[in-house]
Amino acid sequence: MKKMSLIKLKANRKGRIVEILGGSNLQSRLMNMGVFKGKEISKLSHVGLRGPVVIKSGRSILALGHGVAAKVILETE
Amino acid sequence: MIKKIYLIGNPNVGKSVVFSRLTGVQVISSNYPGTTIELCKGYLSLGAEKIEIVDLPGTYSLEPTSKAEEAAISLLKEYSKDEIVVVNVLDSTNLERNLLLTLQLIEDGFPTIVCLNMCDDAVHKGVHIDIKTLEDILHVPVISTCAITGAGIKLLIERIKEAAPVPRDKLLHEEQWKEIGLIINRVQRLEHRHHTFREALEDASVRPVTGLVMAAGVIYASFKIVRFIGEFIINRITDPIFINLYQPILEKLTRHWQEQSFLFHLLIGDLINGKIDFKQSLGVLTTAPYIEFGMVLPYIISFYFILSLLEDIGYLPRLAILLDNLLHRLGLHGFAIIPMLLGFGCNVPGILATRTLESKRERFIAATLISIGVPCVPLQAMIFGLLGSFGGFYVAGVYLVLFSLVLILGLILNRVLKGYSPEFLLEIPPYRFPPLDILGRKLYFRIKGFIIEAVPIVLVGVAVINILIYFNVFSIISGFFAPVIHDLLGLPKESIIALVIGFFRKDVAVGMLMPLGLTAKQLFIAATLLAISFPCVATFIILWKELGLKDLIKSTLIMITISIIVGSALNLLILR
Repeated sequence: MKKMSLIKLKANRKGRIVEILGGSNLQSRLMNMGVFKGKEISKLSHVGLRGPVVIKSGRSILALGHGVAAKVILETE
Repeated sequence: MIKKIYLIGNPNVGKSVVFSRLTGVQVISSNYPGTTIELCKGYLSLGAEKIEIVDLPGTYSLEPTSKAEEAAISLLKEYSKDEIVVVNVLDSTNLERNLLLTLQLIEDGFPTIVCLNMCDDAVHKGVHIDIKTLEDILHVPVISTCAITGAGIKLLIERIKEAAPVPRDKLLHEEQWKEIGLIINRVQRLEHRHHTFREALEDASVRPVTGLVMAAGVIYASFKIVRFIGEFIINRITDPIFINLYQPILEKLTRHWQEQSFLFHLLIGDLINGKIDFKQSLGVLTTAPYIEFGMVLPYIISFYFILSLLEDIGYLPRLAILLDNLLHRLGLHGFAIIPMLLGFGCNVPGILATRTLESKRERFIAATLISIGVPCVPLQAMIFGLLGSFGGFYVAGVYLVLFSLVLILGLILNRVLKGYSPEFLLEIPPYRFPPLDILGRKLYFRIKGFIIEAVPIVLVGVAVINILIYFNVFSIISGFFAPVIHDLLGLPKESIIALVIGFFRKDVAVGMLMPLGLTAKQLFIAATLLAISFPCVATFIILWKELGLKDLIKSTLIMITISIIVGSALNLLILR
């Protein structure tokens, strides 16, 4: 088990969310879109150095800005 | 007694298409979240009653996290719960995410009817939903529909009256998701599917390298196709009609008129070498219709055809991902590309679409950048028509100047304005291939909108200009502004008239430049100035409404300062 932020996770890898840092507004926005503590998501791509991260959560594809992605902490096998 | 029906659902589930089906009112729908920015209202006949239906902007939850969501939710509370019905529209291909709002609606005691939309897409993707079981679990009517073809809509209407509040315990957010997980396990069966070509394309378009290659290809192809269709319509359809059909009729009708008479001046304008010249005569019956129908309309058709296609396929959110990095430096985030692209058609819908951006700061930056650096189709069509004859170099030059301006101004505004830009968080829709009739209807709707809004103003505008010229009013104005116009910008003093007219309509303004016989350099400067200086009156009013008076003044001052700086700089730098 390793903990890392969504930014550090390699593309095409899966991870389970253990923590979402940041304010309650961000947490509830993500929660409403189905991204919350305990959810397993996979990372599809990372655009550029400080660009957004694209993830798959359930059947949704979501793009998270770099700053948001940095606040999503995952654990991986 | 039902007083109102509300359509509510997550963004981009097809609420607007369902709305059009129920009411017969045509509204713009696209394949990206946040197309509906204004409330749409229509009526549904239910037996003898006529009930108002309101299409609410998309929301993920009843606990709002943005202004648009807040507005949607507050409307739900206008009437008491026994007077309304809530039609909850869901995307069948993504039941899990959509059910959160459904549970919240039912828990809050709203009389709800569930409409599982896009059922054809679900079948296609191997998603099977057991509707009967879902109904048993939720205790509300569940109907599967495909709004784009109209399937299931009749049944939906029949069952609207069955909607009634049902008791259900209120759960916490985490528990709601757990509950949804359980529901999904019982009602949804996924067929294993291999990766389809469509999914491979979807993936490729959000990966850095392949994504950028695709974006470059899409933008280049769009530009080429817009030009190709536009020129085809002009050369094969509108020009032959104007020159071979309309011109002889006009000449016959006015053969016996006095060329110096007021009426001739007003309706036909000046003859060029003894003949009507649609580009230069400047009459209400000659140049006015030619500008709108012979120069601008062909490009309106081709531009909106391509834009509508890209919107419905779902490409634009992917472009937003790729451009997020760049736009972030301008104080915006990737989604701002969508209002900007809409602005290329007409700045008004572009600025309206900035409502989907979260903060006031972002909306100010986006609206200002659009009104300065994004030329609308009428203006672009005229620039092509006028500058194109001097070579593509000049046309490209105008775009280059505008693009640099957007970058520089954005960088400065991002530094100067207080606050920070909110983060990018966007759902990326799957690619969808819209049926041609849906695309055609949307195109027709937009073209009709253009004709209704533009043509009367252009006809009246040209008439007023002609009257003012006839009574020599303009020479007084142009004499007054001559120092700025002539010495600073290097333009003949008569071109002030065009710049003033630009406030009413940009296309007519460029049209006013045609008879002046400007050099390529002068035309280049005038066209660039028309693009960046004052927005047209329609844009101005929208800016006022969206930004408020204070920000409007700020935005306007920026525009005037920049026009003078850029105009004089171009005049000094370009040698010929």
